[in-house]
Amino acid sequence: MSLSFDVIGAGIATTGVPDWEAFLAVLAGANLVEDRQTPPSALLSPRERRRAPRAAKLSFAAAEQACAMAGLAPSEPIAVFSSGMGDLDITDYMCKTLKDSPELLSPTRFHNSVHNAASGYWSIGAGATGDVTAISGWRDSAAAGLLEALSRLGDSDQPVLLVVYDDLAQGPMRSLWPTEHAFSGALVLTRPGAAGAQARLLAEITRADSDAHDPLPATLAERMADNPAARLLPMLGLIAGHGQSITLGSEQGPGISIKRQPA
Amino acid sequence: MRGWSRDAYTNAHAVISICTLAVRSQGQARIFPFVKPLTISAMTLTCAAGTGLQAVRSALANGQSGLRANDFPHCSLDTWIGRVGAVENTPLEGELAEFDCRNNRLALLGLQQDDFVARVQALKQRIPSERIACIIGTSTAGIGVTEEAYREMGEAEIFQPRHRLPRVHTPHTSAAFTARVLGLDGPVLTISTACSSSAKVFASAARLIDAGLADAAVVGGVDSLCLSVLYGFHSLDLVSDQPCRPFDRARKGLSLGEAAGFAILEKETEQGYGQLLGWGESSDAHHMASPHPEGMGAAAAMTEALSRARLDASAIGYINCHGTATPLNDEVEARAIASVFDQPPAAASTKAWTGHTLGAAGIAEAVFSLLALNDEFLPAGLNLDDPEDDWSEFILRESRQQRVDAVLSNSFGFGGSNCSLIFGSLAS
Repeated sequence: MSLSFDVIGAGIATTGVPDWEAFLAVLAGANLVEDRQTPPSALLSPRERRRAPRAAKLSFAAAEQACAMAGLAPSEPIAVFSSGMGDLDITDYMCKTLKDSPELLSPTRFHNSVHNAASGYWSIGAGATGDVTAISGWRDSAAAGLLEALSRLGDSDQPVLLVVYDDLAQGPMRSLWPTEHAFSGALVLTRPGAAGAQARLLAEITRADSDAHDPLPATLAERMADNPAARLLPMLGLIAGHGQSITLGSEQGPGISIKRQPA
Repeated sequence: MRGWSRDAYTNAHAVISICTLAVRSQGQARIFPFVKPLTISAMTLTCAAGTGLQAVRSALANGQSGLRANDFPHCSLDTWIGRVGAVENTPLEGELAEFDCRNNRLALLGLQQDDFVARVQALKQRIPSERIACIIGTSTAGIGVTEEAYREMGEAEIFQPRHRLPRVHTPHTSAAFTARVLGLDGPVLTISTACSSSAKVFASAARLIDAGLADAAVVGGVDSLCLSVLYGFHSLDLVSDQPCRPFDRARKGLSLGEAAGFAILEKETEQGYGQLLGWGESSDAHHMASPHPEGMGAAAAMTEALSRARLDASAIGYINCHGTATPLNDEVEARAIASVFDQPPAAASTKAWTGHTLGAAGIAEAVFSLLALNDEFLPAGLNLDDPEDDWSEFILRESRQQRVDAVLSNSFGFGGSNCSLIFGSLAS
């Protein structure tokens, strides 16, 4: 079973690697860039920007880059948001408030606590009326997201935006989710034959419980160890021309191997 | 070997004429590739109305609601809840202890009904476990344990050892747990889009199977009562202090509930409860917690489901509404139904039996819809004395015996996430 597809856009946002240009440089051996104030998302009105949870801001940063590279309005693609833990900032708020003063729970923060808050704000901000979904595979959310996104290419002729993100935990959850650096990565996938494809790839499901890929610069390898969402990095590297194939393993269920095809 | 380049394009042309009949209300005909209907070869449901299908059926037949005055621990709200007994005192033990939380206890109780585990074992005799996907919808997941861990962590803000369960404090917990219990080795996926979660599992399963990434799927939904949802919906003023009254003029809000439901989806099987004929998924792109006032997203989901099913709206014999009983939701859903159906079929919400089971509502109401097909029994809503004029023509006030060949089930969630499913009888 193999599925051929094109990648027409990609994006990344994490500490030290704020965008695709920085990613290409780091992949080529450059140092991480200094943190800078990222411009606020153009998709959210000032009011929504105040209300939007961290997960939205984190995921939008990569998703907007991927759409721009693909030459698509953010409203156009079907979207799959995949995250192992969702919005850990709000989890901390909810559990603290429920412990201390449940009657004072903020309605806005409650409706932002759903796992599809990031995808919901995306749909609202982008005006995307097609399907925008939110999934999880815990530490295997990159592989889960790819499977869900790939399965959608047969389902309609629309491009598919995949966003994989995870934040750092706040409060006592840090001991269970010790990630230090938030990460989001995004891809826009289409059926093969797209004009302006960044890469033509072939995916196969395979039995693999661990990842395999050409060595990445130490700075990026550390990120993969730090944040499971950053296990998307070898896939982003493949799109950028690094290596010929990668495997994303999965603790339960199949992994995915992806290799480059001649364009 | 199947890919998407073949069937998807060729079949699309063959059905254009049928589709344009079905797709009309939105003014834009979209053609979806033909996907061979999957059979629901087994299913089960555990909710406040009953543990297992037989109990649920008799509750429906007797008009016996599962709602009770709120007695959920640590919650003083004046409301009614659809609580499943018997999960408090059944901790998960042995190798399942690392999954112990209310959601997974409820999942296990659900899996133990209706010979579901045996049906999955029989499926594994026909199809290798590597080719069986496990797709579970949830919104609460294990958050009840996270709440408890905070409550009991003390000044040091360190979780007690019994709460240090990494596999519980993630939205993925119940999909991972279900795959573990059933020994499934195909793709394991959680869908968490609030109240549409476990309707969307059917669409994801159909796509994975059509793309050749699996040959069958166990789908389901599990959501459990917890303080987050009880106080959360209360903060939004969406919870009634009385048992919920979907589509009644005097409806004041929802009653929360919990449920676990599961189904097996497979190809080329003639025995079962029905077929998944179509699905529609859309986004309101309007507001996180309020539906689009004209029901645009809801109508788009129903229209897409009809289009995929290659059915004219008149073929639908019953609609299981989302019908949460909040003043706005029911009004918007009724408006959306009226925009898609010239003459809406009999329609009802079953939430007064179960409470709103959130991430499990999709599977619960898929099961109700499939029971309606099989039992030739269309349940009405409970507590419905005085429907509003706009929907008095089609919202059922009395349950009735009637054979129908196709049913539609609606699930709409926060974030403007909408999913409609169409099931057809196997004989049709």
